[in-house]
Amino acid sequence: MDNNLLEIREVTKSFNNSIVVDKLSFMVNGGETFGLLGPNGAGKTTMMRMIMNILRPDSGEILYNDEQRHKIKGLHFGYLPEERGLYPRATVMQMLIYFGTLNNLTRHKAQVEAIRYLDRLGMVDFTNAKINQLSKGMQQKIQLVAAFLHDPAVLILDEPFAGLDPINQVVLREILDEYKKSKKILIVSTHQMEQAEKLCDHICLINQAQVILDGTISSVKKKYRENAYFIESDQPMPILHELKEVDIIEEKNNAYKFSIANKNLSIGELLSKLKGKIKIKKFEIVEPSLHDIFIRLIQEQTAASN
Amino acid sequence: MKNLLRIARWEFNTRIRARSFIFNTFISPLLFTAIITLPIFFFQYQPEVSTKLIGLIDLSGENIEKELQNDLNNAYRLKNGSPEYMILQVSLRGSHIYSAKLKEQTEIKSRRDSISVLYEEVKTQRNQYFRNRSLRNRANLLQSSYDRLQFLREEKELVDIELERFNVVMDSVYKQEAFKMADSLLITDVLNAYIFIPYDFMKTGEMQYHSKNPGDFLETDRFSKILQTIITERRIINDEVERSKIREWLKPIHVKRYQIFPEGQTEWNFYIQFYGPVIGVFLLFMAIFTSGGYLFSSVLLEKSNRVIEVLLSYATSRQIMGGKILGLGGLGLTQVLIWFGLTALIMSTNIIPVQKINYLTVTNGLYFLLYFSLGFLFYGAIFIAVGSLSANEYDAQQINQFLRTVAIFPVLLSLIVLAEPNSPIIKLLSYIPFLTPSFMIMRIPISSYPITTDIYITTAIMIISIVMVTVFAGKIFRVATLMQGKKPSWSEVLYWLKASSN
Ligand SMILES: Nc1ncnc2c1ncn2[C@@H]1O[C@H](COP(=O)(O)OP(=O)(O)OP(=O)(O)O)[C@@H](O)[C@H]1O
Ligand SMILES: [Mg+2]
Repeated sequence: MDNNLLEIREVTKSFNNSIVVDKLSFMVNGGETFGLLGPNGAGKTTMMRMIMNILRPDSGEILYNDEQRHKIKGLHFGYLPEERGLYPRATVMQMLIYFGTLNNLTRHKAQVEAIRYLDRLGMVDFTNAKINQLSKGMQQKIQLVAAFLHDPAVLILDEPFAGLDPINQVVLREILDEYKKSKKILIVSTHQMEQAEKLCDHICLINQAQVILDGTISSVKKKYRENAYFIESDQPMPILHELKEVDIIEEKNNAYKFSIANKNLSIGELLSKLKGKIKIKKFEIVEPSLHDIFIRLIQEQTAASN
Repeated sequence: MKNLLRIARWEFNTRIRARSFIFNTFISPLLFTAIITLPIFFFQYQPEVSTKLIGLIDLSGENIEKELQNDLNNAYRLKNGSPEYMILQVSLRGSHIYSAKLKEQTEIKSRRDSISVLYEEVKTQRNQYFRNRSLRNRANLLQSSYDRLQFLREEKELVDIELERFNVVMDSVYKQEAFKMADSLLITDVLNAYIFIPYDFMKTGEMQYHSKNPGDFLETDRFSKILQTIITERRIINDEVERSKIREWLKPIHVKRYQIFPEGQTEWNFYIQFYGPVIGVFLLFMAIFTSGGYLFSSVLLEKSNRVIEVLLSYATSRQIMGGKILGLGGLGLTQVLIWFGLTALIMSTNIIPVQKINYLTVTNGLYFLLYFSLGFLFYGAIFIAVGSLSANEYDAQQINQFLRTVAIFPVLLSLIVLAEPNSPIIKLLSYIPFLTPSFMIMRIPISSYPITTDIYITTAIMIISIVMVTVFAGKIFRVATLMQGKKPSWSEVLYWLKASSN
């Protein structure tokens, strides 16, 4: 699939006169993982439901390969809803075959695929178990398999890591990485910033119905870089304390995190001053974590709106 | 379209194995039939423990005791062959008051008798005087005997009047004392009941039946029938007709009722005509509300377990709704066809007198299917709307209960329908979509002529209503199923309905 593009244009949705999604626009290309981030109630789930055509936008357009979303009859979409949607009294296999056939798989194909994914997630022993006999995390895995089963071209996962243990989180990330390689669209929402950071290529942060940050992970990080550096040596570096241009943020076992407050001193000059005096084991530019950026931006906006 | 079928198939497959489906298909109809027909058996087969003692106070002077006993013996016997009723003349031998009166009466009677004897003596003597012309003093003798006779006649008349008066008193004393006696026998359970026959019974035909339980129509009906025959017989005898002929004339009749159909007449049997259609309505109700109930709970369940969100992401709301209606409608049809199969089986084995049940026809079977389908689609759409609007199961069940009550309501009127299936009021009621299926399914087999016009009219009304409720339900379903938590207000519902087809 060389042409795989999802475009959201000025989409607005309100419930009972309160705007939940306000003129949201973004674009997702095949082969990149798109993270939809934001605090509770930001409108992530609502946006995903509109992409899945479960809800219709009040205004704006959702285009998949230049086609209006609600006109697409084909079955290119896979969806993991935020809450579990399984029949409690059905067995795992019955459930997966049903959802598979709804996506045009034959019963046989659905069964084969189901077993393949269940195996990867360590769930093959449960094919004939009833849904209500499974733990929450296990149900989450079944729901994930249901979303993958028909190998959709667009995969929308609403909080896929919720309820999964660390090992299964890794397995899921592997599966998603594989999926990404086939140039397909993957949109994920999560509250776990480390996961988003590892998984996503592109993120969109929304708060109070609006986009407050949109870009690739690296561009976002660059944008919010704090001019901070990290240096480590095998001996103490008193010189860092002596230079008045240097602000030490953190100091621990001959390792320093610092920033240069004054423009008179470039990092190059600093490094040349250190050279020869001490042996530098490690030097790098400190990138802010997504977690920090998230908190900073949301707090700033909340403060501004109050 | 494919997804519609897939959803239909899923709904059908998951429900047909459900315990509740098996129960509603096989057990419920059996239970219902048993419950409504059991009273008939109780009524018909009363426990006949032993012979009943029936007291008799007969003032009519007709001496009907023997005849009554005979006729009762002929008509009613216990299983062991002994008579069911034993008639006992209430005896006043023990009553002092009555014995005293009786003595007095005998005295008066003997007085009257002696006067009569005397009168006859004087009369014969006077005859002799009359014939014997040679008698001396004949004129004198004739005159004195005449006077004597005259006096005796007057005397006799007076005594007769006295006796008559006394008899009236005697009767009332007798009656009073007899009642006293009979009542005490009744209270002490010696008698099961007693019959009082007043002196003018032959003229008025009035009698009294006293028992601890006069509401027992079976008994009163039996006695009045038998006494009717006896009284009629007596009246005819008085008109001097030959006894043997009377018997023949009075042979009791047995009514068989027939109903006229265009194809001919058939014997009319209350049980078949009444219980058949009522069981029919019950089955229809059962079918509509079994699958309709599934429709309802499936919407409700998917809303609460959020499966609806997954379904909506792979299928349109129209496909989901259509699939559910198709799948569960198919389930209902299966249920109806199972019943048809069982009916056919019963017909072929001749367990019940099927040849008498003239409404068990293929045409009526098709009508059953028609009204099942219409009823299911109508109630189904309403159930979908209610299910998707309800915030919780409790609210939903209440509305469900209410709808069931509405739909079964025509059964309460079944006796009226049976009496006059095509009366204007029943006709009118059967045009109300909520009631149409139940009423029509009763009317079609009962009506003596085909009500084709009404079938067309009700079908048309139903189809229009179905289209309306389905459009309504479709809109509600699409919007309301994703709602969480609170129950939507009416203004919101109206807003969704007005909102154009987005
Ligand atoms: N069907 C609905 N009817 C009315 N309001 C809704 C509906 N769905 C969502 N909302 C409201 O829209 C807002 C956004 O909800 P949404 O579920 O999209 O948030 P979210 O970003 O997914 O939050 P979370 O991180 O908690 O999952 C919330 O205020 C919510 O109350
Ligand atoms: Mg959400």
